Amino acid sequence: MAFRERDLLEGLRGRDPAAIREVVDQQGRRIFRAARGLGFSPSDAEDLAQEVFLTFLETLDRFEGRSAVGTWLFGILHHKAQERRRSHAREDSTDALEEAFEKRFDANGSWLRPPVDADRLVESRETGEALRDCLAGLPAQQREVFQLRQVEDLSATDVARIVGGTTNHVGVLLHRARVRLRACLDGKGVGRSR
Amino acid sequence: MSGWEGGWAFAMMTCKEVSTLMSMGGPADARWRVRLAVRLHLSMCRHCRAFKRQLEALTKTARTLSASLDADLPKDFEATLSKSLHRKP
Repeated sequence: MAFRERDLLEGLRGRDPAAIREVVDQQGRRIFRAARGLGFSPSDAEDLAQEVFLTFLETLDRFEGRSAVGTWLFGILHHKAQERRRSHAREDSTDALEEAFEKRFDANGSWLRPPVDADRLVESRETGEALRDCLAGLPAQQREVFQLRQVEDLSATDVARIVGGTTNHVGVLLHRARVRLRACLDGKGVGRSR
Repeated sequence: MSGWEGGWAFAMMTCKEVSTLMSMGGPADARWRVRLAVRLHLSMCRHCRAFKRQLEALTKTARTLSASLDADLPKDFEATLSKSLHRKP
């Protein structure tokens, strides 16, 4: 039987097995996939998912229901993933690829090297594998924002709350991630720009 | 190279501004004037429409890739995870 969110929270506070199973069924795969999307191995992603849910249960008293349970869980995942990584040296460095994006426009802001149509980015196993490699090359924070915004379809506001920044900063990180991914896919001959 | 197909040059955003805004997550959170300017620009600029389709294709590919990660899920993932949480105080 499905719980309403308030009943679900009550059940979780009482460690009701049915409530726990309900939230795991609703969110477990999303968290596992997101952890994999952040670059963790299947076994690390499984460990992380367990840590996320455990922390969620331990910190339920702080959850006021102002955000969705899923967003709260992604916030915990963000902190757990950060604890595991610890390295953010690459995030603030100037992104040379961003300059390459700028060079695609003239002084008036018109395209110098216009994009080709998306038909070349056909869905195929090869494209998926190329994208997997390219995602692995992204700096951690860009990868996380790309995962949360583009794959999990969270709003810029939610992602800003999760990663601890402004919505504009989230936008900048997403832009950098996309520029880098495009350049990487181009380099692999997938959907190459003119 | 302009992909411009219309004649209204006034108050319009440039290709660079429009493509950067879309790349940053789209104009959904922007003010209505900006959203309108983007829509007008896209209706008249084939290069920016191509860029938008590229972004959409990238998202679609990333979602397909993410869904394929279910193959990595351990057997009985949800049941095992739920049980492990019951055991913790």
